[in-house]
Amino acid sequence: MTEHVIVPRRPRWLDVVGVLGVVAMGFTVWLGLWITPPDVVQGNLARLLYIHPAIATVALYWAGGVAAGGSLLYLWPRTRSFFWDRLAASAVEVGAVFSALTLVTGSLWGRPVWGVWWTWDARLTSTALLLLLEIGYLALRRVPADLDVRAKRCAVTALLVAVDVPIVHFSVDWWNTLHQGGTILDPGFALHVHGIMLWTMGLSFVAFTLVFVWLLGVRYQVEVLQDAVGDQDLEVSLSERWSEDPELVGVAGSPAPQGSGGTP
Amino acid sequence: MNYVDAGYAAALGTVLVYAVSLVLRRRRWERALKMSEPAAEPEGTPVRGEPS
Repeated sequence: MTEHVIVPRRPRWLDVVGVLGVVAMGFTVWLGLWITPPDVVQGNLARLLYIHPAIATVALYWAGGVAAGGSLLYLWPRTRSFFWDRLAASAVEVGAVFSALTLVTGSLWGRPVWGVWWTWDARLTSTALLLLLEIGYLALRRVPADLDVRAKRCAVTALLVAVDVPIVHFSVDWWNTLHQGGTILDPGFALHVHGIMLWTMGLSFVAFTLVFVWLLGVRYQVEVLQDAVGDQDLEVSLSERWSEDPELVGVAGSPAPQGSGGTP
Repeated sequence: MNYVDAGYAAALGTVLVYAVSLVLRRRRWERALKMSEPAAEPEGTPVRGEPS
């Protein structure tokens, strides 16, 4: 597949999403650190739970979903487009940042509550595995290859990475874990959080989701620009090669120059 | 600094640093694209994808 990379204009809505994300994040921090009361059991440590579940949600469901969905749509012949490949790659990188943050904020909460920074708990271990798999995907993406070859191998890898997502989600049900089950809802959909605490947590989900969308959008633009520069460099190299060696003009896979009549 | 402050600082700081790095990367690649674009096509220059 040969495709000239078209660099789209920066969408205005992305700037709006970014501004809304910053505002929502500001309110989340204000409510989380200053307005909400300390928890009856955990005291001020519960304030970490206003950001940790939202970060984990972005890492696991939003980034994981976009990466898996984009990869599937790329592999499906009827929907194959580099748009999906680039979107999936962008989601994996943003997801890796949020997976790392999930582990860091969870560890900072676990040290005073559980007494350990880390334990080989199923939820923690499967989340760490997700981060390692995402780093592996990003390393694979840097291996030089034709755009189509790279897209195919990355799409397959992203689907393998996505296998870990339900494992992380159900780890607290499948195994006896130190990590608690549903933080907000239990399997019977009974709410565990109420009042201002619930609103703060809800706003945190909105804020981190908006920030995720903005980061994903900008990362996608970087991905397009990288491919466009590679495409331009290839064009320049081919032009130079053709001008140096007229015998190459028109060989298989290389288009003939205009008006040269250089078909083999 | 307590655990709560450290958690918020790590989360917000990391997101901020990553966001700034993305904006800088985008700017760098935009500049690279502008520099790699040929200024003007001389007559008879091969055009990729054009039929012979």
